Amino acid sequence: MSSHRLFRFPKPAWLNNANTRTAGVYAAGALFSLGFYILIDCAVWSKSALNGSSAHITFIDWIPGICSALGMLVINSIDKSRLSADSFSYSGNGVAWKARLVLFLGFALLAGGLAGSVTVLVLKYVVREYVWPTLWMGVGNVVANGLVMLSSAVLWVAQNMEDEYTYNLAL
Amino acid sequence: MAGLKTIIALSFVLAIGFLLVILSSALFKNYLTLLVVATYVIAPLPNWICGRAANPDDFMESSGSGVIDFGRFLTGFFVVMGIALPTLLWHAAAIQGGAAAMSIVGGLLIYGTIISFTLFFQEEQEF
Repeated sequence: MSSHRLFRFPKPAWLNNANTRTAGVYAAGALFSLGFYILIDCAVWSKSALNGSSAHITFIDWIPGICSALGMLVINSIDKSRLSADSFSYSGNGVAWKARLVLFLGFALLAGGLAGSVTVLVLKYVVREYVWPTLWMGVGNVVANGLVMLSSAVLWVAQNMEDEYTYNLAL
Repeated sequence: MAGLKTIIALSFVLAIGFLLVILSSALFKNYLTLLVVATYVIAPLPNWICGRAANPDDFMESSGSGVIDFGRFLTGFFVVMGIALPTLLWHAAAIQGGAAAMSIVGGLLIYGTIISFTLFFQEEQEF
């Protein structure tokens, strides 16, 4: 197996460790929590006395976050081993095709959330020329959606790690 | 070696943690920081529940690890929530900076006590 390597540097051994996988799942939860609370922070700050401007968080600011969270839910509820299921003869009815379609929807929701947060930042805060303390409500939205995206990437990698780990164990 | 000294040390740390959190709320007459205690008390629960829900003996069935992973995800969520909540309240000027710092340190001490307590006394129950 190691003779079929493509790159000069081997994959470090700790990447296939079960502990790394556990740490990855914890880190994904932590990143998601950070993103979620930055979103909440924007909303709380908007209603607090510190916000001197007339701009406030409305439902529009929540839509990108909702899209991102839904996308993360969709992506990570798919069983990753179903993606290559069509190569085996015993899995009929195009399971891999359906899995790829649902996965595409999930990624579209995630990317749409990030793009939507940038849209809200530009159209609601930058174009109307708000200055920094008010601008935080838009910037925080982008940061929160980016963190949710990062969290789902970390969770994806961690779950794929598990597959290889069990594969090595089975051999 | 989980002896009497461990229990005494852990209870001291727990008491200091609670002292810090209660001081952070009572000194500033603002009881929002008590939420940190609630957060850290429910933080180990998802791991525990999902560990019971999944069947670790079922080696071939890979669906069991999804439940465990979900529990770990929730635990990571709650641990960061305990740090993020006081910071959020401080940023919105609902509590003061000193109260936020004290409640974060106190909450981390409480959570560390809970975790090390389960680490020390899990070994004796196992097998």
